[in-house]
Amino acid sequence: MKVVTLLRKVFLVDLLKGLRVTFKYQHPKEIYTEQYPLERPQIAERYRGLPRMNVNPETGETLCIACDLCAKACPEHLIVVESERDPVTKRKVMTKFTFDVSRCMFCGLCEEACSTDCLELSQDFEIATFDRNQFIFDRKRLEQGPEGTEYTR
Amino acid sequence: MLNYLTGYLSNTTDTPGVAGSNLWALIYILIIFAGVSGFVVLMNWGERKLLAHFQIRLGPMRVGPHGLLQPIADAVKLLTKEDVLPDGADTVIFRFAPVWVLLTAFTTMIVIPFGPQHAVTDMNIGILFMLGVSSLGVLGIIMAGWASNSHYPLLGSLRSSAQMVSYEVAMGLAIVSAVMMTSFTAGWDGAGTLSMVKIVEAQRLQGTWFIFKFFPLGFVAFAIFAIAMIAETNRAPFDLPEAESELVAGFHTEYSGLRWSFFMLAEYAGMFAVSSIATTLWLGGWLRPFPNLLAGKTWDMAFAMFPGVLVILVGFAAFYNAAKMPKHPAMKPQVVGLWVLGLVVVAVGLLMVMPPVALKISDIAWFVLKIGFFMYLYVWYRATFPRYRFDQLMKVGWKVLLPISLGVLVVTGIVGLTPELWAWMGGGR
Repeated sequence: MKVVTLLRKVFLVDLLKGLRVTFKYQHPKEIYTEQYPLERPQIAERYRGLPRMNVNPETGETLCIACDLCAKACPEHLIVVESERDPVTKRKVMTKFTFDVSRCMFCGLCEEACSTDCLELSQDFEIATFDRNQFIFDRKRLEQGPEGTEYTR
Repeated sequence: MLNYLTGYLSNTTDTPGVAGSNLWALIYILIIFAGVSGFVVLMNWGERKLLAHFQIRLGPMRVGPHGLLQPIADAVKLLTKEDVLPDGADTVIFRFAPVWVLLTAFTTMIVIPFGPQHAVTDMNIGILFMLGVSSLGVLGIIMAGWASNSHYPLLGSLRSSAQMVSYEVAMGLAIVSAVMMTSFTAGWDGAGTLSMVKIVEAQRLQGTWFIFKFFPLGFVAFAIFAIAMIAETNRAPFDLPEAESELVAGFHTEYSGLRWSFFMLAEYAGMFAVSSIATTLWLGGWLRPFPNLLAGKTWDMAFAMFPGVLVILVGFAAFYNAAKMPKHPAMKPQVVGLWVLGLVVVAVGLLMVMPPVALKISDIAWFVLKIGFFMYLYVWYRATFPRYRFDQLMKVGWKVLLPISLGVLVVTGIVGLTPELWAWMGGGR
């Protein structure tokens, strides 16, 4: 055993092994760094990001039936749904929907509770805002997505 | 007058120094100074980039295509920085130290043989001159550490000098064994040489690079030199003088801006110098590989063209990377820049491949290629090996490298003189 260790030392086996490892790392496909603003990262399909309210793609009407299930499912009680009954059709119509992202932990329970596939956590990960109030998403922002910030010099 | 200016050009055997042409010696000095400075700039970028890829990162990407203009940005930053003078520092020595380090690093360059006549001068004590002058660089480091009036630089410079002095011993013995090999050249009457040009000449006449001579003796001597030269230039894994986790930045802790950049310049120039010693002594200097196996005019031409082909390949690599750049309007100037750069590089490569040019510059190109190989090794080691502890460093220097290099020296002498020894023993009986 001692002879083996001596030979390993004499022929620098361990050093050569280390050199081999780092040499292999040079391959471009090993690179982990992303060039973020220029190249956007691939987000996993199951990623839970900013909430979104889906609309009927043909009519543009909301899919929400104001059942309040999402608000009840939310552990943080950050969803507020207000509704009123339509006197003609006798159906509940959603009048106000707010979603406070600043308190959200993206557990996805609201998404699962939604019976019409209206509320959904999208793959949008750029959540930062300039103001705490902007974290409270209203219906318009939930349906159209967050508007990009215009930068001026 | 005109005769004086152009007289050297008709000379094809001697270096300007030997031929006595002061003008051309000056031109060579300027070319080498500019070339080495350009090399330092390129190496600055190359090291960051290579190191990044070893550590699965991208490295500089924003300043210019693939960060190619990063050295310029760094230089601008360093030049505009405040020149800090520590309180209580020895002003004169503090200001003089970086200049001294730079001077010694560049003075060694005058005997580096880039080709049979492509050196400033060819001294008969060339290798000794290089070792002596580069050892004087330690003085500058001690001056810097002492004059800073600060603990970390002092400790760093003491470490640095202790390390350089101890590794110079093993390095010198390894060099002596290579110099000894020159004396086995047929027709030289057993007289070796210290001249850098003649050492390469000896390898050409013996038909083998000294790394392969008396295998494994030449290789062991080369390996000892390769380890000692990393310690000599204070590079990882022997970068104790600059151990940032212990000593902030070692002997140049108190330096900033331009003076700091002098130290960096000197470090890279020193790397260039010791690599060129290793190339000259063991890797056949400007000689092309496989002189015996692949001999003949055709192979000569092929090997002369090889560096040019390599440059063309670099150009195509630039094209490939330009095509792979992120598709984004902000990247447009960089993509265009990389295409232009690739075109320029390919044009230079095509120029280098042209037969008359290729034969003229193949010696320089091969020399630079071999040095490039050493530079890659430097970065590779830095990316792989952790830093030695100081007692381990001393142990490796004194208890491992020194005995081995002594043994190699003795055995080289015995093996080289075997025919004479047999004759002597036979004659004695």
